[in-house]
Amino acid sequence: MAYKYLGKSYVRPDAINKVTGKAVFLDDIRLPGMLHAAILRPKYAHARIVSIDTSEAEKCPGVVKVVTGKGCTYRYGDNIRDLVPMAIDKVRHIGEPVAAVIADTPRHAYAALDKIKVEYDPLPVYIDARQAMSEDAVLIHEELGEYWHLPTLNPQPGTNIANVYHLKKGRGEEGFEEADVIIEGEFNYPFGSCAALEPHGSIVWFKEDRTIEIWSSSICPFIIRDDIAHSYGVPVSDVRVHIPDIGGCFGYKSDITVEQTVAWIASFVPGRPVKWVASRKEDITSTLLAHGIRTVMKIGAKRDGKLVALKTTVYHSGGAYSDTAVNVTIAATHNSTGPYEFEHCDLTGYTVYTNTPPVGAFRGYGHPEPQFATERMMDILARKLNMDPFELRAKNYLREGSTNSLGERMWKSNGDMQACAERVQQIVFGKPKEKREDDQFYYGRGFAALMKSPKGAPFSTKGCYMKMNIDGSVSVNMGGAEVGQGLRTVVRQIAAEALKIPPEKVRCYNEIDTQFSPYEWQTIGSMFTMQGGRAIVRAAEKLIQGLKKTAAQVLRTDEDYLEYDGEYVYLRSDPSIRVPVTQLARGYITDNGITIGDLAQSVADARLPRYSNPDQNGQGNLGVTYTFGAQAAEIRIEKKTGKIYVDHFASVFDVGQVINPLQIRGTVLGGVLMGLGAALYEEVKFDEEGRILNPHYFQYHIPTYKEAPQQTIEFIETPDPIGAFGARGIGEHPVIGVPPAILNAIYDAIGVDFYEIPVTPEKIKQALEARMEKEIA
Amino acid sequence: MTEKISFTINGEYRSVEIDEEMMVIDVIRDILDLTGTKRGCDNATCGTCVIVMNGKAIKSCNTPAIKMQGADILTIEGLAQGMELHPIQKAIAESGAVQCGFCTPGIVMELHALLESKPDASETELSNALNKHLCRCTGYEPIRDGALIAQQLVRERMSEKA
Repeated sequence: MAYKYLGKSYVRPDAINKVTGKAVFLDDIRLPGMLHAAILRPKYAHARIVSIDTSEAEKCPGVVKVVTGKGCTYRYGDNIRDLVPMAIDKVRHIGEPVAAVIADTPRHAYAALDKIKVEYDPLPVYIDARQAMSEDAVLIHEELGEYWHLPTLNPQPGTNIANVYHLKKGRGEEGFEEADVIIEGEFNYPFGSCAALEPHGSIVWFKEDRTIEIWSSSICPFIIRDDIAHSYGVPVSDVRVHIPDIGGCFGYKSDITVEQTVAWIASFVPGRPVKWVASRKEDITSTLLAHGIRTVMKIGAKRDGKLVALKTTVYHSGGAYSDTAVNVTIAATHNSTGPYEFEHCDLTGYTVYTNTPPVGAFRGYGHPEPQFATERMMDILARKLNMDPFELRAKNYLREGSTNSLGERMWKSNGDMQACAERVQQIVFGKPKEKREDDQFYYGRGFAALMKSPKGAPFSTKGCYMKMNIDGSVSVNMGGAEVGQGLRTVVRQIAAEALKIPPEKVRCYNEIDTQFSPYEWQTIGSMFTMQGGRAIVRAAEKLIQGLKKTAAQVLRTDEDYLEYDGEYVYLRSDPSIRVPVTQLARGYITDNGITIGDLAQSVADARLPRYSNPDQNGQGNLGVTYTFGAQAAEIRIEKKTGKIYVDHFASVFDVGQVINPLQIRGTVLGGVLMGLGAALYEEVKFDEEGRILNPHYFQYHIPTYKEAPQQTIEFIETPDPIGAFGARGIGEHPVIGVPPAILNAIYDAIGVDFYEIPVTPEKIKQALEARMEKEIA
Repeated sequence: MTEKISFTINGEYRSVEIDEEMMVIDVIRDILDLTGTKRGCDNATCGTCVIVMNGKAIKSCNTPAIKMQGADILTIEGLAQGMELHPIQKAIAESGAVQCGFCTPGIVMELHALLESKPDASETELSNALNKHLCRCTGYEPIRDGALIAQQLVRERMSEKA
């Protein structure tokens, strides 16, 4: 469909502030009388705290207060209330807050940290879920049975299992009886870090009027507001949360992470704002980690390639507090089908307490990890069946009429998986491979298909406030956090289209303020364009209706006889009878000064339609909307070094409707590079004592300028019935297919199957040497 | 131990007192409140703190503040002339190179140091310069596009002046 302002590239409204250095990020905020906090981290990843002596630290220059967790009586969490703002009698991971110094400057605060003396009694440390699940494992949370949790969760008190989720579709495991061929595999997607360029930070200010004001680099201001209000026993309306510009998120600035800790610290100096900003090291050791997912997968198929049954067990090392991990596990479990239909599914996900920092959202939210397994398994199954892998996949793609693991029926409007796959096949596999190898390199090509749904929640709505001004320009406020994804541009374009006015006449909010912004659950799940967009469309419709209502009085007719074109409200049967919107914005002022009608403003929100909790089989409307896509890699492996070069990467997604071509390309470019990092470089490593070995950028390598491949990016547009103007989510999806596509390409190049990432040059060299030995033998 | 130093920053003469352990970034952000220069890591890896000192791009997070004595310093706040953006800013804003924008000031300053002294820099020189900066959002392609447009604009401006 042709739109006036959609499908065109507009420059982001925040670009100029960002190139002039005027965009305000958390650490750029200075408040009167502001103090600074530094936080002490433990020597052990799992230990009882015997004693803490803060007396020396209290005497240091500039120190205002030294804080410990002693006396803290509350726990917090959105899903399972297992979190504490500061360790009380026990530390459970190496990045946990043990004590904090509040001082006049960050330098003074950090200098005093060394003077705090803590005595520990160490406990056994578990890094991997399966270690922590062993029968003789020491409990990380002895009180698990007492924690409040969502009614849909199923914790296992007396063990380290924070939650078990199980899904059965069809005959479950019995379905394998119908299979001719069965393959099994175990895959590992190790711990990672979102590693956004801006480290986490918060400012909390307990005011004398008993209100609490907070600034945070977070994408969930309303969760912070509700959570802090609950913990401190004040009305939710007395907590005000501001979100400035955010320097990248990719997942780990969702949910409540550092805010409760900074609030606990600040509560000891009422009347003074306290700022804490993570060092890079703390950003990795003391916020949320990612992944930590082992997927054990069994697939049964008919001889002709028709998939029959899937059994998946997800072992999720959820970290020391599982509040943020449980939903990742659930998403990983029911999305482990990838974009395929299995008649029978037996899927289990364990969220397990481990002595690592808490694990939470990472771009893709439980989709990249199991689908890494699914897509590797598809290639392996094709070999076993002696079948073309594209043909095998095509036989089984979710399409109109099929049902996914959750029991949701797929419609044509869910998008065209097959078309995405065919296009990528054409782009990358359309011509025969030029060469298998030469003196220096092996060459390979690999493919992966993917799907993603948002992982919502029952109250996951997004609101929109809209007001028309007296010159016909429009101000739009929403609760969506701008982390770089460009949602302000999208808001502008969608509002312009819906209101039939040029985007330049739409001014979008900049910061979020829970006092003035409409409610939004959190800006997650690639939902903003579709769901937030729907809220904008609804608000625009209401605003236009309001204009018509006033105009009907002015023009002495009925509302349904009127039309709106962005400039005028006019009589359909005689457009010369009209009133300009500029005269309707504040109500209409008649010649004698009497004003009629309402202000031109509106409020609306939108959620995923009929999103539901899982039923007793673990099924239900938990996905609601899907984006399908296909990706492929062309790689070179250097014989001498084992280094992998990704020369070209292709992605095609069915996004429903492209809103802004420049931005959507940027989304995919960045997502693919992130996936490339996961496939080849990134892993947060622990030693046996639970210490993180690489908490810096020079150790935790994220892809650099010269490592970026050339990319081909295309879109298919099958309009979505939920999203605004047919648009679907795309923010996270580009990451998902990258590791399996690259690992499938590695097999194509050297005939070696890898089951875990990152595939480093050392691993390639080992594999090549092993292959050589085998050939000689 | 404090010491008094003087320098020119963004065309303004300034005199400040510094502690001996201070780095350039501490003076810029915490004393002068020029918050456009960003702190992204602990050990001079990410490039968000890059500024221009005496015509050269430097990492302000590991350059001792004492080196500012007598120097001519340019930060991201000093590039635009009133409402008029520097061509590098314009190119980076329009090429899609800005997503979260946290790495942007460092990259703009890196390009400024390179292109103002060497408008004919080769693509290798450009890519060596940009390789010193981490970006987690864009996949770098739009940054390269922006840098090439910036180079074009800087050359055009120079030929206009000549």
